[in-house]
Amino acid sequence: MVEAAQRDPSRFAELYEQNFERVYAFVMRRVRDRGEAEDVTADVFHRALANIGTYQWQGTPFAAWLLRIAANAIADRWRRLAKEPIPTADEFLDSAIEDDTERRTMLTQLLHELPADQGLVVVRRFIDQRSIKEIAAELGRSEGAIKQLQFRALENLRTRMRSTYD
Amino acid sequence: MTNAMMYEQLDSAIDQMFAAGAAEAPVPEDRTLAGLMGMARELRCLPRAQFKERLSLDLDAKANTLSSGRRAPVHAVASLADAMPTLAGGGLAEPPRSRMNVIASVSLHALAVAMIVSSGYFATQPKMLRTQVISLVNPDVSALPPAPDLSGGGGGGGDRSKLDASKGALPKLSHEQITPPTAVVRNVEPKLEVAPSIIVPPNLNAPQLPNIGDPTARGAIASNGTGSQSGIGAGSGGGLGIGTGRGLGPGSVAGYGGGAFRVGGGVSAPRAIYSPDPDYSEEARKAKVQGVVTLWMIVGPDGNPRDIRVQRSLGMGLDEKAIAAVRTWRFEPARKDGQAVPVQINVEVMFRLY
Repeated sequence: MVEAAQRDPSRFAELYEQNFERVYAFVMRRVRDRGEAEDVTADVFHRALANIGTYQWQGTPFAAWLLRIAANAIADRWRRLAKEPIPTADEFLDSAIEDDTERRTMLTQLLHELPADQGLVVVRRFIDQRSIKEIAAELGRSEGAIKQLQFRALENLRTRMRSTYD
Repeated sequence: MTNAMMYEQLDSAIDQMFAAGAAEAPVPEDRTLAGLMGMARELRCLPRAQFKERLSLDLDAKANTLSSGRRAPVHAVASLADAMPTLAGGGLAEPPRSRMNVIASVSLHALAVAMIVSSGYFATQPKMLRTQVISLVNPDVSALPPAPDLSGGGGGGGDRSKLDASKGALPKLSHEQITPPTAVVRNVEPKLEVAPSIIVPPNLNAPQLPNIGDPTARGAIASNGTGSQSGIGAGSGGGLGIGTGRGLGPGSVAGYGGGAFRVGGGVSAPRAIYSPDPDYSEEARKAKVQGVVTLWMIVGPDGNPRDIRVQRSLGMGLDEKAIAAVRTWRFEPARKDGQAVPVQINVEVMFRLY
């Protein structure tokens, strides 16, 4: 897949779909702000596309190359914003955080496996950050019903995450 | 705790989490709720769906740009000679060619070069000049009718005599002049005698007197006058009168009627003795327009300006203001040989804001 993208950059979309959640989770874990995480993630994939021809397989997966770019992008951002102390890119790549990145990547995938009404409530409530009242009006349900769906969805996700990691 | 209460407490904790922003929200004491809030905190960090789609579109556009600008990979070749294209094809870097195409291409190029070279010859060939013939068909200079009051033109002459021109009849009035008029004949035996004339339309009524002279003069003793360049009078140019030219009376060139003089050549300039400043137009004042309006006019023998025309305009109502002011001016008239004469002058009216 990587070689195909190197020959034809229009094939890069497949790599993007495969690695977006991982890169975003990695960045989000380190910048702790969704807007900033989106900026850095976009920067990472633009850099990757521009330099896809220079990637050489050296025993590490393509995702590791992307995370290295992400670590450099975050370090650059910290340097520009003059945050003290400034961590190095390697410090951003420590393994303890890497586990958390995998967990968040998994969470995105599990979200798609929820029942449709529960998934929709989670997206509206946590990603779009709508109020219960707004969601109830959109779906034509009572606020109590939406709160119940919200509870069930979180419970469902927690159960699935436990079964995945335990 | 009932289920409904659990739902309410969870939702309340989620609201607190959003309200806390980046800060840590309080963790519920209930273990179940605390566990669900852990999930809520992770979900809150997920990316927006629109962001992922937008970034995907951006990358697609960029990838397409890169794809269109990227060349096909270059294969390794055995030697430089293999890579170089040959005239008949065969090189790796060029597709095969047919000999007919090569011949056609060479022929067309040779033809194009020949056309370019030959175009220089045609471009430098001198064009044949067409002969233009302009025929004068009975040019009629008498088309200018006598004006009701004053027409333009005039003439004058003299032979620098001590005496003023003598009174007499007008010479022949003609459209052309061969011999200027003279009251005192200096050449009594000309080889070719031609009747003297002045260039004045023949329909002019003139007094009938026995000798040629200036009808307006008073002198009884024959004299060509104090002027110059032949003719009769105090002017110059072969005419009759105080003007300059081959016509009659004040004025210049030909004809009669006393057209306005120009300053110089014995004509003094008129001098303004009353010249109030013009008013500023309101429009020009608001626009802060400054400058000079040049007016052309005739200052008559009475010192009053007339026939005022705008030579150089400023607009914004300033031309009208200048004309209105100059119309009230009074001049000491121009003079020629001590006599007040009409003269054409230009007057510059300056408008300036202080």
